[in-house]
Amino acid sequence: MMPDFDQQGLPQTEEWTPEIKAPVILLENVSKTYGRIHALTGITLSLSGGVTGILGMNGAGKSTLFKILMGKIRPSSGQVRLFGTNPWKNPAPYARVGFVPETEKMHDWMTAHDFISTFARLNGLTRAKAKTEADRVLDFVGLSDVAHKQIGRFSKGMRQRTKIAHALVNDPELIILDEPLQGCDPLARTTIMNVIRELGRMGRTVIVSSHILHEIERITEQIVILHHGKLLALGNLHAIRERLDKIPHRIDIGTSDPKALAKSLIDIDSVHGIFFPEGENLSIQTHNLGAFHSELPKRIIESGQSVDSIDNPDDDLESILGYLTGGGGL
Amino acid sequence: MDKKPNTIFRALDRKAAAVTEFTMRQYRTKISTWVVLIIGFLMISLLLLFYVDAMQREYESIDNDGDSSDWDNDGYPTGQERLYGTDPNNPDSHPGTFLPPIAPDPPEKWIDEDDFDWDSKPGAGQSISVGYDDDGDCDRADRTESQKDSNDNEIACDIILESNIDDTSNSVYEIDADNFVDEDPDDGKYAKEAIHRASILAIGKLGFVFIIGIFIPLFMATGLIRDEMSSGTMHYMLAKPIARTEVFLYRVLGYLGIVWPYLATLTFVSALVTGLGAPGDSFFRFSEFGLWLSILFAAMLATLVYGMLFCFFGVMWRYGVILAIPFAAWELAMALLSMGAPDLAILRFSVIGWALTIIDSAAILVWPDLDLFIEMGSWGGGGEGTGLWGSSIEGAVPLDYFSSKPGLGEMSPFVSMLISTVVLLVQAAALWLLGGLIFKGKEIQ
Repeated sequence: MMPDFDQQGLPQTEEWTPEIKAPVILLENVSKTYGRIHALTGITLSLSGGVTGILGMNGAGKSTLFKILMGKIRPSSGQVRLFGTNPWKNPAPYARVGFVPETEKMHDWMTAHDFISTFARLNGLTRAKAKTEADRVLDFVGLSDVAHKQIGRFSKGMRQRTKIAHALVNDPELIILDEPLQGCDPLARTTIMNVIRELGRMGRTVIVSSHILHEIERITEQIVILHHGKLLALGNLHAIRERLDKIPHRIDIGTSDPKALAKSLIDIDSVHGIFFPEGENLSIQTHNLGAFHSELPKRIIESGQSVDSIDNPDDDLESILGYLTGGGGL
Repeated sequence: MDKKPNTIFRALDRKAAAVTEFTMRQYRTKISTWVVLIIGFLMISLLLLFYVDAMQREYESIDNDGDSSDWDNDGYPTGQERLYGTDPNNPDSHPGTFLPPIAPDPPEKWIDEDDFDWDSKPGAGQSISVGYDDDGDCDRADRTESQKDSNDNEIACDIILESNIDDTSNSVYEIDADNFVDEDPDDGKYAKEAIHRASILAIGKLGFVFIIGIFIPLFMATGLIRDEMSSGTMHYMLAKPIARTEVFLYRVLGYLGIVWPYLATLTFVSALVTGLGAPGDSFFRFSEFGLWLSILFAAMLATLVYGMLFCFFGVMWRYGVILAIPFAAWELAMALLSMGAPDLAILRFSVIGWALTIIDSAAILVWPDLDLFIEMGSWGGGGEGTGLWGSSIEGAVPLDYFSSKPGLGEMSPFVSMLISTVVLLVQAAALWLLGGLIFKGKEIQ
């Protein structure tokens, strides 16, 4: 809009308000060192909306990153902004954040409902509001029926879900979950994954960390890979995976007669090499995983051999990391 | 009902209530809390048992002036012979030779026969005349006026009580008695009263302010924040929009929520015991409730300051208890110093020095005669430490030890109580801010 140089227009009646839209998370060249150990090195990252998986091995710096985001620890250098505010200096943005810490320690003497409603009051809720809110979030994570049992008697999965419920009171815009699936049984995993996906659908920004690729895969496609404190990759998991499929992969097939099976597999185009590591095992190297997998079942049936197991030991974080760091998948 | 507006203060209120309530409930689930509280209770109970025992004891009545003995073996105690003007050293001279003959008194009649009759105390720098010759051995017909008035104040058979101001502007009493006046006080009565008072002061100062005041915060406040930091549960609280300084304060409030009612209960029990056990004819002595209230108040302030300090130590260092122990030693030294020299400047660098000033000030208000009462017992009939002929009465020494003048100089006890309270509150606030600041700078793993 051109300024009204001639001063002929009507005076401005509406007050102008700047449109401030800070990203939910903004990290600029953030590093954290403990003495000579570099926990995080030069992380620059900005996230808003959707579910993002933070992948990394144990000790890659996932928890450190979250603690920096939550103002628990101070970055050695760099800028951190949570909703545009420095979380180390100001706890105000936590009102819009739910945090599920990695720690397994909880206040075991409290009931789940107690725990959640007590801490909900730290958001400034009244006692009554905190109680209804606790009911709501416990229902959301499917713990309504054990809401009034002591946390100390909960299974791992129930404890994780209680922690998640605790983070969800006051309806946060950003939810940070540090290894929420760790130590859970398959059923609990599924429940928690559903909860996380549901949060994503509700339009919340969710950041979830894990060191297991499959878990993250089932939750989200948007991933960030951390390795030795460095941001290694950022983007869509499928894109990464497609590139990954092009690199040599190893597939282990357990069969009673490896040699016979090998014969019928050797002429597949994508097969790169075949080894016989142990007695009843066959190890195949391929540089196109997708193509090989589409061919494999047919060939097995044709060969008439019985196959006990098909294992893809490279389809995990280590091999991705190996590939990304240039060390090769094997 | 009106809907209350949702202001920032209301939100603060809710957070404060939540953390305080949480902290109190958390204490309840810890065995260590119960152990510490029970040990504290047992310690005070033990002190109270000593008190009850001391009150049950019979204090030996001493013949301070030696006039119950019959030196000449004529069957008449010396006091009786003096009264009748016969020679106590001559076996042939005694009231039995009178017509009609007078029967000899039992010797007990001449023990504790001339008690203190000091009903008022002089103003600073003044002197007054007190005392009354209960047994009549001063105001005898055979004595001359100058014999009766050996202190030369033109009043026969009295005691000059003079209040002098010494170099340190404290008032000290000087006692100058005519011979044979108030010379054989009732030791039992004095000892009981003195030991009763000394016990209250000792239980209050050492028991409540020092032992309970340091011991409870040491075990209950040091881990207030540190335990949560170490175990990782602090993450839950700090993930909420709450400043760490607030967390620090509200955690301490939760600690006080347990400790203050506990102190109040203990003080009430102690006040009941010493009220029932107090010497005298009345069933219960209510007048000392005020002193117990001041002991409670001093102990509450002490646990507040120590709680803040130890919580701060805990935040500062994983092994904060190690910092707390030398501090406790320092406070003990200061407590002992304050009993003897309450006006030492170094006491101003302690917590307990100020807390004890509150009790000392209240003691003056509750027992306006306290300094004179101690002086009286130390004088003990005038003979100052010379064998039979009087010396300080049992109870005077401990009372003198445990009581002291409020060390802030000559001012109204109310004013010195107020100053001490303000100083302790300022100490607590400073430690809160300092502790909050340190906590703010701590990284929580």
